[in-house]
Amino acid sequence: MDSTLIILGALALSSAAATVAGCAEDLESDVGSQSNPNSQVQLAPQMGNIHRYFNKAISGEPVSYGLYVAVAGTIAWALMNIGMSTIFALVIGAGVAAFIHGVYAVSAYLGRIVGQSQNFGQPVYLDVVITHLGPIVGHGFIAVFCMLLAAYLATSILGNPFPLPLVALIFGITVGAIGSSTGDVHYGAEREYQKYPFGGGVPVANHGDIDIKAEIGIRNGMDSSYFCSKLGGPLTGLTFGLIVFLDGWRGIVGGILGNALGGSLISKSIIAIIVGIILVAVMVCLNRLVEVYARKKYGPYTDR
Amino acid sequence: MVIGLLIPFVEITLAGAIINASVHFVPVGGAPAAMATSTGIGTGTTQLAAGAGFTGLMAAATMAAQNGIDIFNPLHWIIILLSGAVGSMIMLGLTMLIGQLIYVFGVGVVPAADKCERDPITGDYQKSYITPGTTGHAIPTVCFISGLIGAALGGIGGALAYVALKQLGFSSEVAGIMAVGFFFMNAVLASYNIGGTIEGFHDPKFKKIPNGIVASFVASLLTGIIVVVMSLGI
Repeated sequence: MDSTLIILGALALSSAAATVAGCAEDLESDVGSQSNPNSQVQLAPQMGNIHRYFNKAISGEPVSYGLYVAVAGTIAWALMNIGMSTIFALVIGAGVAAFIHGVYAVSAYLGRIVGQSQNFGQPVYLDVVITHLGPIVGHGFIAVFCMLLAAYLATSILGNPFPLPLVALIFGITVGAIGSSTGDVHYGAEREYQKYPFGGGVPVANHGDIDIKAEIGIRNGMDSSYFCSKLGGPLTGLTFGLIVFLDGWRGIVGGILGNALGGSLISKSIIAIIVGIILVAVMVCLNRLVEVYARKKYGPYTDR
Repeated sequence: MVIGLLIPFVEITLAGAIINASVHFVPVGGAPAAMATSTGIGTGTTQLAAGAGFTGLMAAATMAAQNGIDIFNPLHWIIILLSGAVGSMIMLGLTMLIGQLIYVFGVGVVPAADKCERDPITGDYQKSYITPGTTGHAIPTVCFISGLIGAALGGIGGALAYVALKQLGFSSEVAGIMAVGFFFMNAVLASYNIGGTIEGFHDPKFKKIPNGIVASFVASLLTGIIVVVMSLGI
């Protein structure tokens, strides 16, 4: 079979895995309340809002995901080198990472909540730990497995010279940075502050005044993941999937066009770089369009 | 022999300074930006710069690993660096664009910069679009462009460090993990210099960039000495 077709197929599979990984990663951080919006969950009891959110800022999201995926990648790599089949090795690696994730999640919840119990009266809800742990570890497993699959494809078919654990570490850090910058905004700025009117941002004076009541009953982390799965999660997945796809795709386009122009490596590489720059220029234009749309649609503040 | 060691040594020192400079361009708002309380991307400086830089590093490494690429050939050297830059720009560009979609359609705020009266690129007024009680929100054009410049520099810096390590004779695997560590070191130094949040090149904090570059230059000089000694097997 034509090698370009195989690479294109591997790239498509890798991007699809990355899309699922990004989405699962963001929803996991919403159930468990990790990353920057967690500052509000941490602040809430001090503002008199006793809540039933899960609270686990293990570390910055990029670093914690770097850890999980690197652990999974290292174990999978070791198992593959003693002759285990690839798919089993990837599943076992992701399973061990999920276990580590669960241990960190429990210790982070207990540590952070107990720290607030004495002074601010925030109870430690054991049922919150038990009910949230499954979705946290489950989403984490999906995210880690899919990233590991993408990393395996990158090293085995797509020409990445790095070993699997290193690519896994880099993917983990990247997906954490993306989830923290895109999907978590939906959770932090909208879901935690739904009682305030849409479109107001969150003035500093309102910080810590998070919603503690849900549509029905008292709000918890799983309600947040349901809400964020409508926009924040899928868009995070789309970001990571597109990054993996477009970065590989420009190389393939460079290869095809370069072959048509004589096939030297330099011309292929230069075309790949030019295609990349065109893609970036399109992003600049789209960003400007969205900005102009928002300025026209929402308008300036006129009452001050 | 001496020239063979000196060139990578200079490259690695420059790479550190470039990486530090790159971080200053990336518009990060930290935790407040995740609540749409300040302008920029809602995550930490080091993390985001590292995410973008590593994507560039992988793009550069994939390019350097192709058959027929010679890392000592100046033309190939430039192509590897540019591949790193473009890889980083794609990562950060997409992250900012999709982040912007969430700010506008998910949170309902208008992109507005707090550190300038008018956007220096589009000329749009900013102040009247900022929610009272916040210091701007989302990613206006000036921040987007600044972020892309930062990403390009970060990709070039990461790729330069990787190429220098390869030229010293390290294998791809070792050069990769050392470049990751080297990138983090310089990104953290820049993060200390920024001290929290920055909107981009129009932010008054950006004027502190020379301090960061000097700090990274010195740190990278020391790192350069260590890796050159390592490459000699001492």
